[in-house]
Amino acid sequence: MENLEELKKMREKVRKELDLRNGKHRIKIVVCLGTCGIAAGAREAMNTFVELITSNNKTDIKVATSGCAGFCAQEPIIYVYVEDRAPVVYRNVNVEAAKEIFASHILNDKIVEKYLFSKGKK
Amino acid sequence: MKDLADHLFDILENSVTAGATEVKVILDFHNNIFFCEIKDNGKGIEGEDVTDPFVTSRKERKVGLGLPLLKKTAENTDGFLRISKLKGIGTSLKFETDISHIDAKPFGNLAKVFVDAMRSWPEINFEVSIKGGKGKNEQVLNTKEIKDTMGFSDIRHKEIQDFVYKSIDKELKRIGINTQFGNF
Repeated sequence: MENLEELKKMREKVRKELDLRNGKHRIKIVVCLGTCGIAAGAREAMNTFVELITSNNKTDIKVATSGCAGFCAQEPIIYVYVEDRAPVVYRNVNVEAAKEIFASHILNDKIVEKYLFSKGKK
Repeated sequence: MKDLADHLFDILENSVTAGATEVKVILDFHNNIFFCEIKDNGKGIEGEDVTDPFVTSRKERKVGLGLPLLKKTAENTDGFLRISKLKGIGTSLKFETDISHIDAKPFGNLAKVFVDAMRSWPEINFEVSIKGGKGKNEQVLNTKEIKDTMGFSDIRHKEIQDFVYKSIDKELKRIGINTQFGNF
């Protein structure tokens, strides 16, 4: 690998920002990345969430991944865990849906009925 | 799976699910033949034909389509998919596809695959090498080396990801792989 020097230069800045981010998380978004999810475009949904979190300077939101959720026809599926709230599952989360869910559910705590798969206990 | 990038990401996911901690990838492209080898130290699947769609290790349902689909993608273009057990522990997977074949799938964004893999499974060590034909083997990603250089294990940061993307993409372009190819 070339240019490790370049990495060293960004070390301090990155460390500071990561420390800030690695505190407690209030919200966790889990993207299902099984074969079905990948084929349905779950990676794009995941990247959309990560980009939105970065561009909104949110440090208390975490994006995680899991395997197949068992409802392959509904992929991409995501789970949204907000602290002190019942988990919410969304289906058919494409890039558009991801943007909508982020703006409404993540930022304003309002569930997007259009893409809702289930609410409450898994 | 709309492109080879999706397939590649899917195999990486298999390795992670098999409990691998180290995944090594070699990409090669010359004379229109794209070759990919993935070696991991996961537990693998013993004694079963994993390219049979009705063989799977998952519990959620009884079919597994990742490898059968990849096999089809490879064989549609007179390529192959081979899976073998490594000495000791681990699995090796090789596939080859002729990108100039009428039934070939486009590359997709291969560099992005590894950035997404770093983001999805930060605890796994990924090593990626790229070579073009007889040219030398150029290592373009070694997440362990990045972790050691940075001095911390969480490397899910945009600047690091951009750095990785740039260095992989540069090397891919050098051997003639670009995301535009076959993108409709």
